[in-house]
Amino acid sequence: MIHGSPRSPILALPEIFRVTVRQLLGRRRTLLLLLLAALPLLLALVFRLFDRIDVQRYSNSVFDGVLIAIVLPLTAVLFGTGAFGAELDEGTALYLLAKPLPRWAVVLSKAMAAAALTLLLTVGSILAGALVEVIPAGEMGVRATEAYVGATVVGALCYVAVFVAVSMFTRRALVIGIGYTLIWEGLLSSLLPGIANLSIRQYALGAGDWFVQLGREPARLPPETSFLLSVVVVVVALVLATWRLMRFELPGGTD
Amino acid sequence: MTTAPAQAPAIELVNAARWYGNVVAVNDITFSLGPGITGLLGPNGAGKTTLLHMLAGFLAPSAGTVRVLGLNPSRDPSVYRRIGLVPERESVYGFLTGFEYVRFNARLQGMRDADAASRVAIERVGLQDAAHRAIGTYSKGMRQRAKVAGALVHDPQVLLLDEPFNGMDPRQRLAMMDLLGEMAAAGRTILFSSHILEEVERIGTEILVIVAGRLAASGDFRAIRALMTDRPHMITIRSSDDRRLAVTLMSDPAVFAVTLHDSELAVQTAHLSAFRRIIATASRTAGVRLTEVSPADESLESVFDYLVHR
Repeated sequence: MIHGSPRSPILALPEIFRVTVRQLLGRRRTLLLLLLAALPLLLALVFRLFDRIDVQRYSNSVFDGVLIAIVLPLTAVLFGTGAFGAELDEGTALYLLAKPLPRWAVVLSKAMAAAALTLLLTVGSILAGALVEVIPAGEMGVRATEAYVGATVVGALCYVAVFVAVSMFTRRALVIGIGYTLIWEGLLSSLLPGIANLSIRQYALGAGDWFVQLGREPARLPPETSFLLSVVVVVVALVLATWRLMRFELPGGTD
Repeated sequence: MTTAPAQAPAIELVNAARWYGNVVAVNDITFSLGPGITGLLGPNGAGKTTLLHMLAGFLAPSAGTVRVLGLNPSRDPSVYRRIGLVPERESVYGFLTGFEYVRFNARLQGMRDADAASRVAIERVGLQDAAHRAIGTYSKGMRQRAKVAGALVHDPQVLLLDEPFNGMDPRQRLAMMDLLGEMAAAGRTILFSSHILEEVERIGTEILVIVAGRLAASGDFRAIRALMTDRPHMITIRSSDDRRLAVTLMSDPAVFAVTLHDSELAVQTAHLSAFRRIIATASRTAGVRLTEVSPADESLESVFDYLVHR
């Protein structure tokens, strides 16, 4: 029944990517994320309704205050924890793991699927808002858009990698992710500037500053530090996730 | 001149054990299996699933060794190229069609012509008519067949199936049993678990009986079945005069023991079928009216328990 000699299973990784994307899109919470991602566009339309094109004000309040602070982490946490967490909860992970695939490749394709959807939603959200309220302002608007897209890409990759890894260690990854976003990044990092080195949001804002200074003041981390820390976070998270998957065991029981 | 080395068993456990804290799920089990079908029989909670998960590499043994095709399945994913696994949990990707699911398995196995292999596997489990419907719309039996198709699409050397007949109707069961029989005849090693004696009886020539994590019996099914049949049976009787009936029954050599309780008699006999005649004669002789005669220990658990403690 073998049809031809087997080829490298790594070539089949797009299959995991495709199935993960379909799996994530099929969940009800994705609809909620779509509505959330539409917020910048709606707010841009409200700004235009009052006939005001104010790049700085719109960017700070909507891109920074809503998109980078809420929509991006929430989207990445939901997709990141769902990419593997759902399979572990539902028991379908067995079909994936009972295959002759290197574990790093499984982790990578799952993380890429979650990152692709996060980027699609969040970058799409920025571009939609920017087309209405930011880009019409001219070169300054284009550069601000580039900066927020850059910040979003860096943030999305970091959040997804971290929360794919967290979901491999605990079934409470979603709660931890939301807690991290709201308490650590939303509250503590504004009260304790010293913890910027441990805040993905600060990496994102720092990376955005590489294109153009986003806020009235420079971000807490310089762009170079932000990029470096982002790479470290992504690599460490994916290595930890792979390590965990290599030691994957089914939950205990007596049957 | 050299002699060819003896063929290594496809599945080999040596003093394998698995525990969770203080709970021992699998306790010091040793066996080896070659090509053919073996039924893993035991009551619910006996440790069958734990044992299959150990063989599938999803639980490392706490002690002892587990080898499948000479490899440690919990450390070497390459073994999955030659293993097919059908887990007990019903969950399958409900948004995929049956065909997509089987092809997903084929592609992850690195098969060159995954489409053709998937069509063959779908056909082997008789799922052609529903192949392009989402699995979420399948009945339990159809899901089981889709899972089996996904597990055998790469023509594995070893097939591990956990309660594979769950949810299948009698016709589907027979077809699945035939399929497993064909694979065994083609030299594959098939280990399937069940808590239903009749399922194992139909296809498993060799069986492993596992009770409370321990291997209670192993070998030819008929020999073990005979042990199960010849064991002492406990029968509960209610009558108009239990004491007089007890005296009469005690004189029959087929009766091992009689215990008189407040409102019933507990009788032990080795010959269940003969006992029906014995009790009828005894009640007439004693002039006693029978109100209830029922076997007290016909559950599978009690049969297994006997095998462990004999």
